[in-house]
Formats: sequence, C-alpha cells, structure tokens
Amino acid sequence: MTTTKIDTALNLLNQQLNQPLTAALEVCARCGICAEACHYYVAEPKVEHIPAARAESLRKVYRSEHDLLSRLFPSWTGAERLTEEKLAEWADIAFNKCTLCYRCTINCPMGLDTPLLMTSLRAIATATGNAPEVLEMLADAAIEKGKDPEIYLGFYKESIKDMEVELQELTGNPDASIPLQKQGAKKLYVALAGAHTILPVAAIFESVGEDWTLSIFEAANYGIFLGDASRAKAIARRIVDEAKSLGVEEIVISECGHAYYVMRWVAPNWFGDEFTFRVRSIVEVLAEYVQDGKLKLDPSANSEPITYHDSCNLGRKGGILAEPRVVLQAVTNDFRELTPNREEAYCCGGGAGLVALPEAYDLRMMAGKPKADQVKRSGAQVVVAACENCRLQLGDLSGYYGLGIGVTALTDLVVKAMRLPGNQKTVEHIMTLETVNSGEHDNAEVWGSTDLVSLPSTKGDRSEPKSNV
Amino acid sequence: MSFSPFSQILVFLALIFTVFAFGRKLKIYAQLARPVDRAKPKGDLQKGVLYAYTLGMAPWSKESTRLHALAYLRGVAFHVGIFLGLAILVASPWLGEMPQYVRNILGFVIAAGALLGLLGFVARFLEHNLKALSNADDYFAVLIVGLFLAAEALWLFFPAARVLFYLVSAAMLVYAPLGKIRHCIYFAYSRLFYGRFIGSRAVLPHSQQSAR
Repeated sequence: MTTTKIDTALNLLNQQLNQPLTAALEVCARCGICAEACHYYVAEPKVEHIPAARAESLRKVYRSEHDLLSRLFPSWTGAERLTEEKLAEWADIAFNKCTLCYRCTINCPMGLDTPLLMTSLRAIATATGNAPEVLEMLADAAIEKGKDPEIYLGFYKESIKDMEVELQELTGNPDASIPLQKQGAKKLYVALAGAHTILPVAAIFESVGEDWTLSIFEAANYGIFLGDASRAKAIARRIVDEAKSLGVEEIVISECGHAYYVMRWVAPNWFGDEFTFRVRSIVEVLAEYVQDGKLKLDPSANSEPITYHDSCNLGRKGGILAEPRVVLQAVTNDFRELTPNREEAYCCGGGAGLVALPEAYDLRMMAGKPKADQVKRSGAQVVVAACENCRLQLGDLSGYYGLGIGVTALTDLVVKAMRLPGNQKTVEHIMTLETVNSGEHDNAEVWGSTDLVSLPSTKGDRSEPKSNV
Repeated sequence: MSFSPFSQILVFLALIFTVFAFGRKLKIYAQLARPVDRAKPKGDLQKGVLYAYTLGMAPWSKESTRLHALAYLRGVAFHVGIFLGLAILVASPWLGEMPQYVRNILGFVIAAGALLGLLGFVARFLEHNLKALSNADDYFAVLIVGLFLAAEALWLFFPAARVLFYLVSAAMLVYAPLGKIRHCIYFAYSRLFYGRFIGSRAVLPHSQQSAR
C-alpha cells in the first residue's frame, strides 16, 4: 500500500517535470535571502518558515531520483528517499505552510518560483490521499452541481427574484432586475455564493446601464487549491460553457482572488480556442467606469480612514494593482496605503484555501500577524479587500488581534458612494461583514455555501450560510 | 618531469568534460515541455523579461536585497569574479604575453572575488539560517570556486603558480556539472520565466495602469 502511494507520488512528480518546475528545483543557491519575504517567517522567524527550507523538502527527493551525485553520495547533497512520512510532511508544507502568495519569488535573486513547487506538492498530496478533505469535498460538490444545473435552477431563480426586490429598493428603480441566462449579453458576471457579491454589483450595473447577465454558477474553484488540474478544469468548464452558450463578450469575476486567477490566467491554457471571450475582475470594470465618468460617486459617503489590502491573486499574481486605487480615490477622501503594498504587500495569511480549513485557524492567525500589524500601523478603520478569502481572514485577524476594524468589499464602498435611495442596505452589508470580524463564524461553512439554491436571503448574512449539500 | 604540460592537458580535458556535461544537461532540459501561456497578456511580456535581467536584479529593486544589501552585493561581486575568472582561464594560454601590471590588475580583481567567495563560505558556517539550509555540497561548491579564484589570482601575480592554478581549475570544472554549481545554467531560464510572468501580468515594471 505504502509503495503504491510512493510510486504514485514519484510518477506524478516526473510527469510534472517541465522546464519551469525543473528550473525551480535546480536553481536555488540556498542563500536564504527569501526568509523575510514570507509572512510565516516574519511572524515566527524559524528556519522551517524560510521558503527555501520548505522547497528543500521536495528538492531532496528530486535529487535522490534525478541527480547522479546524490544517488552515489546522498548525504553529500542531503538527498532523501521518499517515504510515507515525507508525503505527510509535503501535504502539511504545501497546504498549511504556504499560501502560494508569490512574495518569495519576487524577492528571490533567481526569480525562483517556489509556489510552483508547492503547487506540485499539492497535486502529489491530492493524488496520494493526503489533501485536506474539506477542499476535496467542496471541489467535488461544485463539479457535481455543474453536471446537471437544471436541478438547482428553479430554486436559484426564486432566490434571485427575492434579491431583485431588494435591488429595486436599493436603486429606487421598480424595473431593476438581475438578468439570468440572458442570451447575447455583453458581460457574464460570476458571483460567489451569497447575495453580498451579487446585490452591490447588480446595483452598479443597473446604474451604468450595463448589458449583463448573472452566471448560474459560482466563481470559487477549489480544484485549484488542490493542485488538481482535472478538478479545477471541470469547475471552470461550467462557466466557460455557459459563456459560450450565451455568446457573451466577457466574463466578469466577482471580488475573489483565486477565482479571477483561475479564469484569467490558467483557464485559457486549458480551453485554448474555446476561450473566445475576455476575462476581467469586477475591480477592473469598476475602475473603467470611474475613469469613464460613468459612476456618480460621493467620496464623503465613506468618511472613515480606509486602507486597501492587495490580494496576492489579484495583485502580485494578477497585475490588478492600479485599478483598486483608481476606485478608492473616487469613493473616499481618506485613503491610506499599507506599507508595504502593491506587489510587495504581505499575504493576509489565509490564502490558497487555508481560510477554509477549520483546523488551520491558529496557524493562519500566526501567519497573518504581519498583515494585522500593517493594518494597525495604518490607522485605518476600514480595510477593503477585493477577495472574499482575504476578507474572511482579515475579519478573523481583527477579532484575534483586537484591531476593531471593518472589513469590506470594494463594490460595497462604491454603492455607498453612489448615494442610492436605499443605501441603508449597503450599510447592512458592511455591518454584516463586521459581524464576521468577531471570529466566531466557521469559514469552512462560509466557503461551503457554494450551492446555487442556498443564497442567504438577500440580507447578506454570511455568518449563517445554509447548505443543500 | 614537468607538471606543466600534464596540468594543461588535465585542465583542457576538464573543460571539455564540463562543456559536454553542461551541454548534455541543457539538451535534456530543452527536451522538457515548456508550457505555452495562452492567456492574453495584460502587460508587456518583453518589458518584464528585460526588467528581470536588468533593473530587477538591482539591489534596490526588491525588499530582500534591500534588507540584505551587503550579502547580496557580496554574492553579485563573487559571481562577477567567477565569470571573469573563467574567461581568464580560457584565455590563459595566451595571457603569458601580457605585461605584468595588467596581470596584477586582473589579479587584484580576481583575488577580491576569491575573498568574497571565502567570506560566503565562512558566512554559511556562522549565519544561523544559512547554516541550517546548507548541505556539504553547498560548502564544497563555494569553497572550490573560491579556491579556483584564489589560485588564479596567485598565478596572475606569480606565473610560476600555473600548475597549481590548472590543477585547482580542473577540479572545479569537473565538479561544476555534478554539484550545486550547476545552478548557473538554470539561472537564465528561471529569470526568463519570472520575467514573462511579471511582464505578461503587468506586475512589474509598472508600465501600464489602464483598466481596459
């Protein structure tokens, strides 16, 4: 049994050995200069938190398999044979000790892609049954729903109708609607589970007269967290097929870092010529509206000191660095940067699926300390993050470190600055996010509400998501 | 019996071995798949690559090298010394005709490289994180390259040290493709992939700021 697992792991490692992965395995000079680039190390300066030390666990096995000197004299190069214990260590390193934030890469003199190595380890852990069960469950549930969406569609449409009533109250427009499956719409908006990622965007689209339709699927893609390309592709496939069948010009992804990353940067490589539409984050669309003067915004509506947390998937790995700032400058008069920021920003500590693992709470509170310290230093009362994952983590950090901050989405601030007739609703959404700050919720449960039918009844109460799973 | 012709042949054979071994590694590497990125770039791929090989290597360009500026500059100078040292080794059969003052200048530069390399060797022993990350190969690699530079500097100052220089050079050349020194051939690729990543995604350099 053990031999089989090890064989599976080694075979998978060999299959994955392409040029970028091999370069990442070979090029490290073990200079250790990457240490302070990692938020784990900054929070807890231990050797095991140095990115090079983590990656060395994989390199030792790689060398024992692929390096002549290491095969002859393993102790000379520190080469080690793969064992079941090592497989467990790999799973722990890849899923719990690295959030794939890419900060070590931009700080490495070699440009070494340690997240690529960690993704390889995640794939191996998943293939050998060592991946976190929660992530596998969530990925499989999403795939299952994609197989026959008609089963859920009726319930989903009912939920959306309820939400439309709220939208009409919010916008003051009795004809405001949330279009579903609209053939030939320009934009297909893919939200996350929960009204809080639909209602504000619907209000914004309504305000600018956008030609859009709401996806019947959810943007989150747990397959990518598992390093499992087949699962991730199956989850993305649902949205690609929907976009193709509706003939949209572009897919707009909700404020979600990894969902954007998958659809924008990874999925085109899976689907090739089928990818006839472009993919943007809602943050990019908002910035375009602001730059084009399509939105009437009152920055005095957001009077608290506000800062912005750069999600790694959007910023350092996605290049969405200027756009959120374009929007923030338009919706508040008191925007202050965290230091460091943009591509040098610290990860929140909950990325790459960690926030969905209940057992990782203490770990991510530790890993999030640099971010908490940054926020505290900024003096901001509200932290904006254009990523659901980051918002959940920031909320938990606020509770854990007593930051007393509000955590909100960019779209919520925009809607507030739009001074809509029913703007109190938006305030409720922000207040809801603040309840998340108490740290008393179960993020796995929040993340688990991926189903189409269980949209919290438009009150945006994410702290008590329902599930039909 | 003179060791000079023997050492010359030895270093020549070592050089051939190194070139062949690195060539073979590169050939195998070239046969590996290189994933094609079909995502439409947001930024300028070429600018990213150019940045990765130029300003992206500047000590002020990233937090890590700002924090460890001295160690980084020591490493950079050491590597510049290595490449100069290798060029001098290849040209060494013809360098005997150079005036001694030119040899002395080169000797000082190479000696500085050797000193910086040996400092790196000591740092691996003394610095906690470096020590924890290091294996025997790491120590030996920096030591043998440092000794190569030291022997070369000695030969530049004192031409009579040719045999020692060639023997140490041969040892270094034979070890290079086998141990950690081989990271040099992957460096260009790693920076290339990094440059393409940050360029296509408009992460660095900060060239485009449009939302479109």
